[in-house]
Amino acid sequence: MRFRIITLFLTCLLFSCAPARFVKPLQKKEHAANVSLGGPLIKFGTATIPIPFITANYGYGIDSTFTGFASFNVTSAFYGNFQMELGATKQILKQHKYIPALSVTPIANIIYKNKDAKKLYPQLAVNAFLEYGKRKNIVYVGIDNWFELASKRQYEIKQQNRWIFMPMIGHSFTQKKWNFNIEAKVIAPNLSNEKLVVDYVTPFNTKGAFGVYLGITRKF
Amino acid sequence: MKKLFYLSSILFLSSCLTLDENLFNNSKLESYKLDGYTGEVDFILGSSYSIPDSLVHLFTLPSKAAGESSATTIYAIYIGDIVQIATDTVIMYCHGNKDHMDFYWQRAKLLANTKSKNRFGVMMIDYRGYGMSEGKPTEAGLYADVDAALNWLKTKGLSNERLIMYGFSMGSAPATKLSAENWSMKPEKLILEAPFASAETMIQDGSGLAMPGDFFTTLEINNGEKIKSVSQPFFWVHGEADDFLNIDSHGAVVYNNYQGSYKEAHRIAGAGHSSVPQTMGFWNYTNALGDFILRP
Repeated sequence: MRFRIITLFLTCLLFSCAPARFVKPLQKKEHAANVSLGGPLIKFGTATIPIPFITANYGYGIDSTFTGFASFNVTSAFYGNFQMELGATKQILKQHKYIPALSVTPIANIIYKNKDAKKLYPQLAVNAFLEYGKRKNIVYVGIDNWFELASKRQYEIKQQNRWIFMPMIGHSFTQKKWNFNIEAKVIAPNLSNEKLVVDYVTPFNTKGAFGVYLGITRKF
Repeated sequence: MKKLFYLSSILFLSSCLTLDENLFNNSKLESYKLDGYTGEVDFILGSSYSIPDSLVHLFTLPSKAAGESSATTIYAIYIGDIVQIATDTVIMYCHGNKDHMDFYWQRAKLLANTKSKNRFGVMMIDYRGYGMSEGKPTEAGLYADVDAALNWLKTKGLSNERLIMYGFSMGSAPATKLSAENWSMKPEKLILEAPFASAETMIQDGSGLAMPGDFFTTLEINNGEKIKSVSQPFFWVHGEADDFLNIDSHGAVVYNNYQGSYKEAHRIAGAGHSSVPQTMGFWNYTNALGDFILRP
């Protein structure tokens, strides 16, 4: 039913529309602009495709282990919502041969429509990443966490889901000035997608959703 | 970066998309087939529920929503003897968001045969944009179209105390609103099958998060709030296995918020969104409705 597909669309619009921002921090004083495209998989006719959500992202290397960034959700803007992420990636462990490095990324995800419709979702992503090869390509696995601060929904109903987590795996193809990124993410595998107005396409049957994302980054 | 900023600003400032129209899952028709309809339906009744052709009336009505300069022509079906409307009890059936009256014809026939053969008159319309009705569906149009039907019934002699309002799924919005407010007629009783609480609840259910509905919709439908203004006796039936409108986040909210004189709840184990009558069994379903309608 069309309404179900569209509801999935909005579901994913806000909390699953983007890949990891910066897994590895930029070099000190390095700038990077990124555009990502992709989203959870839906059935489209006979094909299964990712919903093409678009986000734009800018980052700056405050030092070699700490990158600040801001992201703008372009698709959300089409719906009249100003949605942006303000965050920072801090590398807390260095890579030792095949023992991956570790970074953490706290994010404030801000959505504003009007004075009655505004939300702040704190996020925390933790990623382990491994650089390899001459080009220092990066493979990473991580987990993104969203936190619902509101304890109640409309009609004073208790908000059941206060934590949504999303395991992910990705690969970044590194070039001198450009990076190309592909990522797969499992969205909320702990939550049932039954008895919701959604039709998720997921390998986990009645749990969560599954997303695929592509990104391109220009460093300067 | 400047270009990116300008592009983003333009998108933000010019954005106007909403999910409003996606509430309406309407289909157009060239003609109504009723029993001859071969498209998908929720169930098909046996011959014992047949309605004589003489009691099936298909006609058009003018419907004018607030602020509209001209009327929209919508299609209506009345099951029963029009002459008897002045003395009959009539169920105003507000159908769901899907398709058209051909899809809901079996349900309308079932209601007409509540308690006994052709016991009640049943009025059903296709909202604007549905079936053969002109125009595009809107929230204001839902209310205006149902009110046009009520107005027609009133002109045929129906009085408030013999009018039963029935809303299924999306139809719960006009059914609740027109029961709560002063329109052409004031129903004596309200029946809601698988009602939804609000557009915001749909969004919160869909997202799993407590996000404002305003992010995606300008629809003001809020049955959970509007039901507080309904004083008439209220009958609620909902499938416990409803995976479209969750029984607890939607139907139970409407039921619990009702503050009128009498209410009864029917939580149907194993029933989905569209399978309450079948799961209950047609006799049990109509018998429960009939008991409520005939309850003093």
